[in-house]
Amino acid sequence: METNTSYDPSFAREVFENVDSGEEIKMCMQCGMCAASCPLREHMDYPPRQIFSMIRAGKRDMVLNANSIMMCTSCYTCQVRCPRGIPVIDVMHGLAHYAISKGILTRKDTAVFGREFWQQIYKTGRIDEKDLSRRYFFADGIITGIKKSLQMARMGIIMLLHGRMKILPEKKIKGIKSLRSMLDKAMQTGKGGSEV
Amino acid sequence: MAEVEATNQTLLVVGGGMSGITAALEAAEAGYDVILIEKNPYLGGRVTQLYQYFPKLCPPNCGLEINFRRMKLNPRIRFFTLAEVEKISGEEGNYNVTVKLNPRFITEKCTCCGKCSDVCDTEIDNPFNFGMDKIKAVYLPHEFAFPMRYVMDPSIVGTDEAKKCKDACKYDAIDLDMKATTFDLNVGAIVWACGWTPYDASKIEYYGFGRYKNVITNMMMERLASPNGPTAGKILRPSDGKEVKNVAFIQCAGSRDQNYLPYCSGVCCLASMKQSTYLRDQYPDCNITIFFIDIRALDRLEDFYTKVKEDEKVTFIKSKIASITEDEATGDLLLEGENTNTGERIQMTFDMVVLATGMVPNSLDLESAPSVSKDEYGFMTLDPNNTGIYGAGCVKRPTDVASSVQDATGAALRAIQSVTRR
Amino acid sequence: MEKKAALYICTGCGIGDALDIDSLKELATDDLGVPICKDHPFLCGAEGVDLIKKDIQDEGVNTIIIAGCSGRVNYDVFNFGPDKIVERINLREQVAWCQPPKEEDTQMLAEDYLRMGCSKANDTEPLEPYIAEEEYSKDILIVGGGVAGMTAALEIAKAGRKAILVEKEDKLGGFLGKMKKLITMPYKDLSDTGAEDLIKEVNENDNIKVYTSATVAKISGSPGLFTAEISADGNSVQERVGSVIQATGWTPYDASKLNLGYGKIKDVITNVEMEEMAAKGKITRPSDGKEVKNVLFVQCAGSRDPEHLPYCSSYCCLASLKQAAYVKEQNPEAVNYIVYKDMRTVGQAEDFYRKAQEDGDVFIRGSIVNINENGGKLSVETDDELLGERVNIEEIDLVVLAVGMVPTSQPDQIPRIQAPEGTEGADEEGMIEVMPDSGFFAKSALNLEYRQGPELPTLKYGFPDSHFICFPYETRRTGIYTAGCVRRPMEVVKAKEDAAGAAMKAIQCCEASSQGVALHPRAGDISYPEFNMQRCTQCKRCTEECPFGAINEDEKGNPLPNPTRCRRCGVCMGACPERIISFKNYSVGMIGNMIKAIEVPEEDEEKPRVIAFVCENDAYPAIDMAAIKRMQWSPYVRFIPVRCLGSINLVWVADAMSKGIDGLLFLGCRHGDDYQCHFIKGSELAETRLGKVSETLDRLALEAERVKFLEIGITDYNRIPTIINEFMETIDELGPNPYKGW
Repeated sequence: METNTSYDPSFAREVFENVDSGEEIKMCMQCGMCAASCPLREHMDYPPRQIFSMIRAGKRDMVLNANSIMMCTSCYTCQVRCPRGIPVIDVMHGLAHYAISKGILTRKDTAVFGREFWQQIYKTGRIDEKDLSRRYFFADGIITGIKKSLQMARMGIIMLLHGRMKILPEKKIKGIKSLRSMLDKAMQTGKGGSEV
Repeated sequence: MAEVEATNQTLLVVGGGMSGITAALEAAEAGYDVILIEKNPYLGGRVTQLYQYFPKLCPPNCGLEINFRRMKLNPRIRFFTLAEVEKISGEEGNYNVTVKLNPRFITEKCTCCGKCSDVCDTEIDNPFNFGMDKIKAVYLPHEFAFPMRYVMDPSIVGTDEAKKCKDACKYDAIDLDMKATTFDLNVGAIVWACGWTPYDASKIEYYGFGRYKNVITNMMMERLASPNGPTAGKILRPSDGKEVKNVAFIQCAGSRDQNYLPYCSGVCCLASMKQSTYLRDQYPDCNITIFFIDIRALDRLEDFYTKVKEDEKVTFIKSKIASITEDEATGDLLLEGENTNTGERIQMTFDMVVLATGMVPNSLDLESAPSVSKDEYGFMTLDPNNTGIYGAGCVKRPTDVASSVQDATGAALRAIQSVTRR
Repeated sequence: MEKKAALYICTGCGIGDALDIDSLKELATDDLGVPICKDHPFLCGAEGVDLIKKDIQDEGVNTIIIAGCSGRVNYDVFNFGPDKIVERINLREQVAWCQPPKEEDTQMLAEDYLRMGCSKANDTEPLEPYIAEEEYSKDILIVGGGVAGMTAALEIAKAGRKAILVEKEDKLGGFLGKMKKLITMPYKDLSDTGAEDLIKEVNENDNIKVYTSATVAKISGSPGLFTAEISADGNSVQERVGSVIQATGWTPYDASKLNLGYGKIKDVITNVEMEEMAAKGKITRPSDGKEVKNVLFVQCAGSRDPEHLPYCSSYCCLASLKQAAYVKEQNPEAVNYIVYKDMRTVGQAEDFYRKAQEDGDVFIRGSIVNINENGGKLSVETDDELLGERVNIEEIDLVVLAVGMVPTSQPDQIPRIQAPEGTEGADEEGMIEVMPDSGFFAKSALNLEYRQGPELPTLKYGFPDSHFICFPYETRRTGIYTAGCVRRPMEVVKAKEDAAGAAMKAIQCCEASSQGVALHPRAGDISYPEFNMQRCTQCKRCTEECPFGAINEDEKGNPLPNPTRCRRCGVCMGACPERIISFKNYSVGMIGNMIKAIEVPEEDEEKPRVIAFVCENDAYPAIDMAAIKRMQWSPYVRFIPVRCLGSINLVWVADAMSKGIDGLLFLGCRHGDDYQCHFIKGSELAETRLGKVSETLDRLALEAERVKFLEIGITDYNRIPTIINEFMETIDELGPNPYKGW
């Protein structure tokens, strides 16, 4: 063990005060259940347990720049299984939110996807797979958009063949108004959506 | 059932496990009359199912044998098996207790010759071995059973099978008309020592207990290692009876987990380490991995941890295993988790997995019983304003055998104080 | 007592099918001269028992020999009162169930057991308990006035008995009295220590006599009959007591031995100092008296460390969590760091760990590298295991070392005593280091006037513990019990329970001693060893070998037995080369006669004979179990149960060998560190003794392999056939004992 970092409690305090459910991380006993339950564990640079440990140690930059805080897909496995009942998902989203609010965009595409997903749901009450991917692929300009589209072309064809994606645009759902008022409420609580 | 003589100077001990036996004996040897009741057809409780105790790796039957001898020699103790408390009323110094005696269908005349069992063809799941093998429907619960007498499973009573058994008995010891009876007792104080039940591992869905044959519990492991167990003491995989080469222990299986048992049972770390020695004795090449959150080897039991750690075939990994998947073809088990010391992902395959499940206190909810305070987990708590009924052993806190004995000895004295006050 | 014997042979449970009962009866009446001999198909049934009762009444039978099932069963059915001698011959388990039926060898085995049983019954005398002439005391002496000692005293008093409490300080209370708060059941929050109430209750209780500023100068006598000399404030007082509880507690491990800055850096203190400071008021820095803000707790300071205290003290995790709560209470902004190896909050105490986390205490799994002082603040370099980095924790005001418990019995240095001349390992002055398991090892607390040393023998780390899982209160001195942290490290709630248990044992001891009955493990036994002093040669073996220190010596080396200290194991009987120690129902001569009762066939019959002496506590039940499982083994072995293998006398080897017995097996309990012998050293002594048997065998010109010692546990029944058959192979190879027919 070579590196010599200093413990800095100020970041933990910052998290407790600013991040949704941030205080809950105090309960972590570092068992590793969250890390191993996560379906995206292979893609994360630090699993939730390590994020919590780093917050405690005061590693602000590492935490806010971690890709893992942006990766959570809300599958709830870790949260359901956490032996200390930590709302891991809320904390991860909270951290992502906080990082974005501080102008840190580690995984901009995740944020973009989130925004587009939200907006589409808000508009029609459902996801139009082709529209969502188009918006998501082309968010960084037309060249990248074409590249990304071509990469995913095969997947698109398979989805079409299996009827998972329609050629015609999706219609609005019935009762879209009620849904919108629900989503508005969610926005107010600050827990929903990714704003870029 | 004839009236059982008791007075307000008599103590009642409920539960004939190590705690109950201890409380009863200690009080009786100090000159007090004691009635001991046990719901199983034999005394000894949980420890009869254990192969060895930690840290001395000695057989529980050794201590039980002495205790039974103490009991045989002491006329102040009367005990009843297959007995349960049905009702308690009254107060310190004057309790009225209704005891229900379940039928054994075998009388005192039984000589244990075994002829009834020889002719019996019906087999039932052996409760003593957690259903890992079958036993004749008329059986001796285990060979150290005390009292040493057969018992008939109620499922065959009324069938021709039962009649066949009855006819085989030369000593007229089978009474198929035996019915449950009750009797009332007047006692001065009660020691509640009804022990614990292993936590139901099938509730921990992601460990697959009940679905995967080679995922067993720590108590099942005790039976597998015991010479009187389902495999005559040879530790073999339940799925195919193969010898094991690579075994994992998952600590805190359900324990310290607010989704299951929020408390720590205190003994499971040591029990798993003890069981690793069972495996090492039988299989010199067997690799053992113990997955833990914290190793809790209290006080001088740390020496045992030190000893097991020295074994290069035993590896300790700090990780709470998140999932088990079975390879259907081989029955092998894939464990996934995070090694929290290194941050590395764990994906390891084992022949067999032992879940170190915790202790659930046996309930003391009784109709019309004087209120006994307990905590949110069901453990009995001390209530200075409510004396006369005293907990002993694992009904108070999860604990090992030595501490249960300690605790029960103290409980015996408190019960004596209750009758002294009167 | 004029004996009138009767033999009853039960033919049930397969005995009648396996054996020729008529010829057995013939043997009993014609050869063994038993006046009444009957058989019954179901002796334990009402009719069978009536048959015996009738003979007792009509014929005046007072010695009942029952040949049937093992003595482990039907003990209650065949109990005809204390004035009757009952001898059980195990024809069921150890003959009918483990041998092929109707074979000549099976019949011969049963005949030998009959001969042996009748011989034993003939040699057994009725028992009378030992009652001393002096008056028995039922008061209990408790040494140590901390939480365990005070609780024990109160529990005794509440049971209507008298306690005498001796405390070396001028005030009761011990460590409990120095605490600010307690964390105990149900582990949700801190509670009051209750020390003052406890002290008051003890002081005001009429059944408790308290001596403060007092020590025990001497304890002489034996259970029920102890005399304790107490020095209190310079005066000497005598108290007669029936039993003793040692609750002398613990001392904190010396933190200056640790390389953690203690003694060098002022703001590094121990958990005990922290507690005392908190109890007095504000938690401040010793260096400048300022209130603390950031506190770092070092768990396992010296504990779980082979260089210091290899064991865990089990209370320190909770103590630090409690003290962290004090810090938070004083200043909610304060930060507590807890550097730990494993958090050990067992049972419901896990709740308090959660509470500490909720409070925001920072838990770091790792180890301390360095503690530095810099400009009045401390910085602690730590290997953080879970972060995988060496980190520096700065701006620390106070470091608290969670040091462990050392039992007060642990001497600072290994004591030395005068060794007998020529002892190996003695220094120039003839002094030698004492062994931990001797009564000379521990620090002064009881000052027993025992030949085997003034204190309780200790085991590892200086704890005077029994090392019995099933019998935790037992020490190696009868009637003296330990309670609380002197016995093993424990938290307050457990010390209280422990004290109640020790009080129970102490009360029991007073009762048993005054009635002349033995304590654990032969509880209720009224037999006791009697010494035929005319033939004593003052060899001192009995006094040296008694595992319980029951026998003192006069100046000439004559043994002075103390029957109430005796556990009735018979180790002294086995040790005595002159065979002067006997019980009325167990003696060297009696077993010798049983050996002589065995019929040894002529050499050319090719029927070897082996005697197995088996511990009645473990090996004997194991043999029964093997038989219940219907295992089979050589019919040439005769089992003789002994109270403890430590009671075997070497003269039996000579008796057996000179009679032509081909081999001897000794089956006893495991010994060594994890011993299972109920009499602690019995099986070990037996093996040592047998190590010297080669002299006897040499003298007889016999091979050493004819005598074998083996450790057998009660669950080792699967091994019984193999053990016996392998030994029989050895005997076959050696050939017959040439002394046959002498």
